[in-house]
Amino acid sequence: MEQLFNIDLKRIPSSDEKEAADRKKNFELFLKGGLPNKKDENWKFSDLNLIISKNFKNVTNNDEYKFDEKIKLINDFEHNKIILVNGLFKSSDFQFEERGKIKIESLRSLKSFDNELKNNLGYLNKALSIGGFNLEVQKDYKCNKPIIIYNYFTANLNNKIINNSNKIKVGQNSELTLIEYNICGKSKFITNTYEKIDIDKGAVLKNINLQKTKSNGYFYKNISGKQDYNSSYQNFILSSGLKFNKIEIDMNLEKEKSSCYFLSGLNLSKDEHQEIKTQINHLAPNCKSYQKIKNVLESDSKGVYQGKIFVKDIAQKTDAYQLSKALILNDQAEFNAKPELEIYADDVKCSHGSTSGSIDEEAIHYLMTRGIELKTAKKLLIKGFLNEIFDNIPEEEIRTFLEKSIAIQIDEIR
Amino acid sequence: MKSEQLKSQEYKYGFTTDIENIKAPKGLSEETIRFISKIKKEPKWMLDWRLKAYKRLKVLKEPKWQKPKYPKINYQDLYYYSAPKSMKDKPKSLDDVDPKLIETYNKLGIPLNEQKKLSGVAVDAVFDSVSVATTFKGELDKKGIIFCPISEAIQKHPDLVKKYLGSVIPISDHYFATLNSAVFTDGSFVYIPPNTRCPMELSTYFRINASETGQFERTLIIADKGSYVSYLEGCTAPMRDENQLHAANVELVALDDAEIKYSTVQNWYPGDKNGVGGIYNFVTKRGACRGRNSKISWTQVETGSAITWKYPSCILQGDNSVGEFYSIAITNNHQKADTGTKMIHLGKNTKSKIISKGISAGQADNTYRGLVDIGAKAKNSRNYTQCDSLLMGNKCGAHTVPYIRNKNGSSTVEHEATTSKINEDQLFYCNQRGLNQEEAISLIVNGFCKEVLQQLPMEFAVEAQKLVSISLEGSVG
Repeated sequence: MEQLFNIDLKRIPSSDEKEAADRKKNFELFLKGGLPNKKDENWKFSDLNLIISKNFKNVTNNDEYKFDEKIKLINDFEHNKIILVNGLFKSSDFQFEERGKIKIESLRSLKSFDNELKNNLGYLNKALSIGGFNLEVQKDYKCNKPIIIYNYFTANLNNKIINNSNKIKVGQNSELTLIEYNICGKSKFITNTYEKIDIDKGAVLKNINLQKTKSNGYFYKNISGKQDYNSSYQNFILSSGLKFNKIEIDMNLEKEKSSCYFLSGLNLSKDEHQEIKTQINHLAPNCKSYQKIKNVLESDSKGVYQGKIFVKDIAQKTDAYQLSKALILNDQAEFNAKPELEIYADDVKCSHGSTSGSIDEEAIHYLMTRGIELKTAKKLLIKGFLNEIFDNIPEEEIRTFLEKSIAIQIDEIR
Repeated sequence: MKSEQLKSQEYKYGFTTDIENIKAPKGLSEETIRFISKIKKEPKWMLDWRLKAYKRLKVLKEPKWQKPKYPKINYQDLYYYSAPKSMKDKPKSLDDVDPKLIETYNKLGIPLNEQKKLSGVAVDAVFDSVSVATTFKGELDKKGIIFCPISEAIQKHPDLVKKYLGSVIPISDHYFATLNSAVFTDGSFVYIPPNTRCPMELSTYFRINASETGQFERTLIIADKGSYVSYLEGCTAPMRDENQLHAANVELVALDDAEIKYSTVQNWYPGDKNGVGGIYNFVTKRGACRGRNSKISWTQVETGSAITWKYPSCILQGDNSVGEFYSIAITNNHQKADTGTKMIHLGKNTKSKIISKGISAGQADNTYRGLVDIGAKAKNSRNYTQCDSLLMGNKCGAHTVPYIRNKNGSSTVEHEATTSKINEDQLFYCNQRGLNQEEAISLIVNGFCKEVLQQLPMEFAVEAQKLVSISLEGSVG
């Protein structure tokens, strides 16, 4: 591990000596355990240690945030903006919202961020985190327009690692749609992000993860959250195009009637690896969770879904559903799933399903008899397979935009 | 349903017989292994094989990943061999067998004499660790079928044993399998010659009798080209307070066009209502579909044992081979079951089917853990998995942990699982028609398990249905 990482802790700004000492301690803990591998149940299907050491040499910490280019903004619909450069909060613009209803600040100190440590990447994050943002929507405020986080990565990031941590809070009876939009260049780098989400009574948070172009980034993101009475969290994972991407979500449904949705439509091509790991803890009665994961796998790509539903003994009337579907288009591609249930309450409705296989030959045949050539027929079916995910997005402008970006990806399939 | 009212059915088969035992020196050592080998009159190669396993065992560590946790086993405090004394001179017929032993079987409801006539089952009964009597030998001999204790096979058919023993479960597999390889005492050996259909269900009844004796069975079944065999395994054990370890190994080999059907009804002592005592059932069962068009089918009804921990698996090597797994696991009181299967697809056009039904009551924990692995070369393979769990009360748990790997685009894997409680409407309907709560539950649970029960051979089906009802008696308030 020491050979792989070449990190000078002194160059990372700390607010006081104690923080500097904490960083050192965490970094030592990380070096001791190393990057997670298949021995770790949460990494059962992928050896991050192998993936990183195969692709990286002499990883250093990024400390450059200079940025003077212009970001190409999305013009398809009106939105508020947050701009991050290499993980660091740069600027925000909430022009469509009432003043003072949405607050954002830059998190610089580690003190304000106490993430739970689930694996060694947590130690690494604690040791090297440069902070991030703290976003808060005041209570009883429904945002007029979505917020897009332009997550911009500069071009000079080869062999760099970026560690950041963010916090999002949606106040009582408020609503927010948050779109995370990654823009990165050709350089090969690692990100390690920890995010904390807090959804108050009756609040709604919609989170959409989108990757714009193909990238050489190796992304890890850990989201942990808690939900209060009657709150709702929806997460759409549409981040195809990264070399490696793992999103790990831990959601605690702490109070009654809260609900949580994870939907993902991924289209993976050559040399791409995508992994979604979820753990939904039903800790109170009458909660609902719904997960639908769809993967299209081409070339030698690899898709992984590890989902776990935990139902505590008091969480009666739980309704939990998990579905993962994969279309494998090539013999070199691989799909692994581990849909897990751990249930301690009896009056529940919990089910999961998982399928993987190739495109339905009969459907292809049907389309071809109607004069559609093979390639087009395949693309049509793939489009239909992935588009199902968008049915759950009521905002038409956003849906059209997402459908368009998926369509571009599908057109690239050869 | 009130969980406070859960009460358990007293273990019906809890009694012990007093038979003097010859015991190996206490503890696990090279000496013990040499003792076992000597008393079995084993050739040198067998002893070497055991010692090789023992050498490997010293390096291995006990696995920790499983859900049911158990107190540390002191392997030096166990006896690894004990045999009923009357076995010194092998009995030629049932008359020569210790009458007390016969009495034990009669209490269990498996009178050897009657069974001979009535059900046409050849019984190779294992009392503690040595086979006692083998029936219907004559008829099997005529067809060239070998069905004998494995210790006899080691002496009489060394070529077959050498070729296949440890070929499915290697010596260095995992801790308990390796332990078994080192110290196994006896078990069954079956060889079906080419193009032969075994005319009857082969069956072994196991009993654990001597206190503080781990039982290490070794079963090896080989179905040669174009043959068919159905094998039954049934278990009951006397009531005891100390935990007893049972680490058996079962190896199946199916060659071209052969089929093996392996059925188990397991009703060992589950411990009392408070979770004291009971058997640790840590069994390794694995079958290899080595030939083209071969088939292995596992059916199990698991109602006993304090901890059941086993994964009967199929390695589908031959093209067009088929693996099946049908399971019912019922846990009540403090029982824990962590069971499932592995289907490893290596050949082309291989198919597998998994049907698992878990029922959990009292404070029990029931886990399905399974692996479906489709290799890159297993073109056009298919798997279908269904695992359903029923929960009774909110003090028990039901878990599903499937691992699914698909490395082949032309293969299809389907998995579905549900967890629920007994439908109130169904209960109400049954009650209306005059069935009391318990009868209704029994009816519904039997319906829930039907898909698996109907896979059992006739001899077992009735017993198993009864067992399903008995295991849950009193679990509904």
